[in-house]
Amino acid sequence: MNTATPAHALAVTLHYAEPPSFSIWEMVLLALLIVLSLVGFFARFDRVLRNIFTARKDPDFHIAPVGRRIWDFFWEVLCQAKVIKERPLPGLAHAFVFWGFLAFALVSLNHFASGFGLGFLDSDGPIGSLIDGFYFWFAAVFALLVAVSIAGLFVRRFFVRPIWLGKKVSYESGVIAFLIFALMVTYLAAFTIPSTSPMARGLWWAHALCILIFLPLIPHTKHLHLVLSPITIFLSRGEFSHIPPLEGDEDFGLVTGKDVTQLVALQAYSCVECGRCSEHCPATNTGKVLNPKEIILGVRGYLNDLGPRSEEPLLGKYNSQEAAFQCTTCGSCEYQCPVGIEHLPIIIGLRRGAVNTGAWEDDHGTKLFLALERNGNALGMSATERDKFIKKQELPIFDGSQEYCLWLGCMGAYDPQGREIIASFAKVMNYLGTSFGVLKKEKCTGDPVRRLGNDLVFQQLAEQNLEIMKQQKVTKIVTICPHCVRTIAKDWKDYGASPEVEHHSEFMARYQDKLPKTNGPEIVYHDPCYLGRYRGSYDQPREVLARSGKVIDPPRARERSFCCGAGGGLAFLGEESGERISHVRAKELAATGASIVGAACPFCNTMFRDALAATSDAPPQLLDIAQITAQSIANATTTPSNGAQNA
Amino acid sequence: MSGILVVLEHRGGAYNRMSWEALAAGQQIASASGQPLSAAIVGNDLEALSGELASKKLDKGYRVEHALLKDYTADGYVLALEQLVKKLEPEFVVLPHTYQVRDFAPRLAARFGQVLLADLIGLRKDGDNFVFVRQLFQGKLNADYRHPGSRPCFLSVQAGAFRAESLEAGSASVESFAPQLDASSIRSKPDAPFREAAQTVDLGSAPIIVSVGRGIKEQDNLPMVEELAQALGGEIAASRPICDNGWLPMERQVGSSGQTVSPKLYLAIGISGAIQHLVGMKGSKTVVAINKDENAPIFEVADYGIVGDLFDIVPALTEAVKKAKGA
Amino acid sequence: MKIIVAIKQVPVRDSNLRIDASGHWIDEDDLSYEINEPDAYALEEALQLKEKHGGEVVALLAGPERGSQTIREALAKGADRAIHIECDDLASLDTLGIANRLAAAIKDEKADLILTGLQSDDLGLGQTGVVLAELLGIPHATIIMQVEAASGSIKVKRELEDGWFQHVEMPLPALLTIQSGISKLRYATLMGIKKAKTKEVRRVSAGDLPQAAAATVTIERVYLPEKKKETQLIDGSPKEAAAKLVEKLKFEVRVI
Repeated sequence: MNTATPAHALAVTLHYAEPPSFSIWEMVLLALLIVLSLVGFFARFDRVLRNIFTARKDPDFHIAPVGRRIWDFFWEVLCQAKVIKERPLPGLAHAFVFWGFLAFALVSLNHFASGFGLGFLDSDGPIGSLIDGFYFWFAAVFALLVAVSIAGLFVRRFFVRPIWLGKKVSYESGVIAFLIFALMVTYLAAFTIPSTSPMARGLWWAHALCILIFLPLIPHTKHLHLVLSPITIFLSRGEFSHIPPLEGDEDFGLVTGKDVTQLVALQAYSCVECGRCSEHCPATNTGKVLNPKEIILGVRGYLNDLGPRSEEPLLGKYNSQEAAFQCTTCGSCEYQCPVGIEHLPIIIGLRRGAVNTGAWEDDHGTKLFLALERNGNALGMSATERDKFIKKQELPIFDGSQEYCLWLGCMGAYDPQGREIIASFAKVMNYLGTSFGVLKKEKCTGDPVRRLGNDLVFQQLAEQNLEIMKQQKVTKIVTICPHCVRTIAKDWKDYGASPEVEHHSEFMARYQDKLPKTNGPEIVYHDPCYLGRYRGSYDQPREVLARSGKVIDPPRARERSFCCGAGGGLAFLGEESGERISHVRAKELAATGASIVGAACPFCNTMFRDALAATSDAPPQLLDIAQITAQSIANATTTPSNGAQNA
Repeated sequence: MSGILVVLEHRGGAYNRMSWEALAAGQQIASASGQPLSAAIVGNDLEALSGELASKKLDKGYRVEHALLKDYTADGYVLALEQLVKKLEPEFVVLPHTYQVRDFAPRLAARFGQVLLADLIGLRKDGDNFVFVRQLFQGKLNADYRHPGSRPCFLSVQAGAFRAESLEAGSASVESFAPQLDASSIRSKPDAPFREAAQTVDLGSAPIIVSVGRGIKEQDNLPMVEELAQALGGEIAASRPICDNGWLPMERQVGSSGQTVSPKLYLAIGISGAIQHLVGMKGSKTVVAINKDENAPIFEVADYGIVGDLFDIVPALTEAVKKAKGA
Repeated sequence: MKIIVAIKQVPVRDSNLRIDASGHWIDEDDLSYEINEPDAYALEEALQLKEKHGGEVVALLAGPERGSQTIREALAKGADRAIHIECDDLASLDTLGIANRLAAAIKDEKADLILTGLQSDDLGLGQTGVVLAELLGIPHATIIMQVEAASGSIKVKRELEDGWFQHVEMPLPALLTIQSGISKLRYATLMGIKKAKTKEVRRVSAGDLPQAAAATVTIERVYLPEKKKETQLIDGSPKEAAAKLVEKLKFEVRVI
């Protein structure tokens, strides 16, 4: 009936069209639908909230420092920085949908208000009159971006189908995507018609229905993250892989639902199932049972079925013990997670529950625990072997007069390769004129048992070591092992004040100007998990290596570095199932064509030694950064005129 | 109270080789102290064993015979030997440190208010008395013991500590001694000894292990090492790369991801000694390494080492072992 | 079934041992101690028997105050209670003296089974268990690999030499010395340690026990064996080296 010309239509409809008025019946219907929708939402959301709030309180949670939380919220939620950075294209699409939602909050509120004649954004409304409908146009821009983005994400999910989104097609995602798309289309379409058109009424109701259907779907699906993840990010523990202290005599880690804390529950409900954790997980990538996403969903499933007061074990039906003990604690999952889930405290929490109660039975694990209890080192070697090495290398004994205590660690003290690293680093320190000494007695820092969840042995080791620190008046430690660094710097703190500690790469980087500069060969640098993600030291080792050669990165480097397979105590747990993680990484490193693999962790070193030989006929040379530096120094001092020497 | 009584052990109609070592120890004490030496065997129907005993240098042999001594029981042996010792009143009772002796001798000694000086590796006369040497802390220390008080003094000697070859020949009469035994005083009922049916490889309890590493280069070279293992009566094992290649089954892998072993002899052939391997075999009593790289870390833990080409040394070693065993 | 496990505390296996000033014993300062390894297997066997047949496991230890650490670990692994014979004079006693104390401390316990390790890592005499059986007047068997309990009797698998084994049946009560390595040891857990705090430890003062006779054997001197610790490199042609090595294997290692 309306056969307006395009020009005319344009003239009329450059305005967001809303029905001018609503009948009382429409208002009653709308009210009814709103109530229904809210009931649908809260019926489920209430259950979720109750599961979170009735969970055990986190023993060490502090809201301070709020500044950090506000920044995280601003950066990760409002700016969507992590989402975009780690997966740029879908990340940006997601960001537009998110920003669109923010922009639409006002529009949607206005939408329902106008249904009751209380609209405030149109030009007659109290706000709209001031800005003359500007906000509708502002939102329209976002609507366009959202529509394009959601369509793109739809195509990705249902046609491109990256494996990390799961093998099962998620129809609920399709429905949600359709609703969002419909929401935008109904909004944008309203610009093309006059308010008086019956179409305007139709579009208005369609738009309203989209929202009213969407709302109850939120708590029933992973779209719960819309509501929860901003809170999760704001409340996150903040420290990487922070392992909470055990509280009282009944706390053994995550044993049953009763041990699930509020943060754990909140995080479990926040998971958006994006699969970033799985995509980067070394275990998932090499055919192990472990998939970090499934661990989180397992906890969620447990809470849904049994609630946080249940005494059913967490490991069993909902999560497998095998999976929990396949984690190398490389931290890729936790680093990648865009919704603030902290996987490591959960996985390590499950391990603690199993180990501290004796439920975990594993021959290799038992052997490791007994070796640490008896010998104080993870390799079960006799301490006299360490003494012999110190004597043979003529390492000075720390007596309080030296600046640094050089911490050998288990690998540095007993592993033939680790010993070479120590010997090289000692040469570097001597060259730099730094005074140092090694301890007469030193126990394992407890890293493997800390990650495997054996609090009894860890406490013993931490306390014994702290006692040695006190006796010997150690104030500054330098070590070749990033695992030692992390454990001394963070984990010992549960049992007393620990000395300052730094990794040898950080130490050498501070003196890089004093190190000889040579134009050496190409060195591919492997970021150890415990130096990179755990500590953020990405540049220092590269700066040190750059003095001796041309540093190149493997495809997965820095924050995305792929684990060597040794962490989390796994170096001691025997043969892994599926493909060896070390082999995957060794191939990647060798494929760069570099003639030297630069390592900065004795555990990576020991893993790659076998892996490089097994996966390549002419493997690159494997050296620690200290060995490379020591070699440069030796070359520079023997041939002062011709420091540049290619290997 | 004087004299030395040596208790010999036999099984399946033959003397245990360690018995002669104990007798050699007995002869040593006898000649040092100028006391008479006697020896006893315990069992039933021991006529056949008399001849060999009679050919040794000793003053008297005893066949402690009773139907209830047919099978070894601690109760039976303690009761029978208690009676013999009471009759002979020796100053020293010398036994080989066998599993059987460990089972009954402490109890026998206790009947006389004595303790057994077990597992001796040496003894010497010092003044009027003897000094007995035994190991403490798994051989990390030696200790000199004295037994100053009452008699008899019960001793057991470690395998190999005295040379059976040094045994002096002679001739002695061997007489029967019939102890008083009552079936009700023998409380345990032993079944016949048995060997375990050939089962899956148990490297953990193998006394000799010949282990091979990357230095072997090819699977075709393995038989050479297998032959050496066979000559030594040992099990073959390997480091991880060998098992990774499937040259030997995974259950033969020694190291952190395989088996932990603690044999008396661990022969490492072509193994460089990565830490993963070392932690699996560091409990070995004696380590012998054969490797062409003199800087290989395996030499750090080895008691004996041969630096050289394993392809030359292994066959020569097999030959030498066979010769030594045949002799 | 009531099982008593006699355990000993010894210096940790890889301790750096030093001779004390008197030359009679080792310098005990600065040493850490642990459960004697074969005794750990005896404890494990006792715990497994209890898990199978029910009953009670009582840990028994003679030694100074530091022994309570080992007792606590035994309780943490699952022993129900413990008896600690407190004494500082272990080094001056011989096996009989120690066995006498153990026997006196448990004579009223009326245990069905007494287990202990086949020998200690420090003295390695391997007879405390057997002598204890003698003093208690009960049958014993040594170097046990397996225990099957029936009512009033047990059937055990003894290890003989050269790969031979034997089953032996005997009435209860009885004493067994357990071979090292026959099962998988469990590790102590945080939960176990916390539970152990509430378990009973009966402390017996050595002075309250009948006085043992003076030791019949005494240690006069302890010293480092004259064994070369360093690697002996054998040289010569392959044939010569092989012959030299076989000589060593025969007379020093004694495996041929």
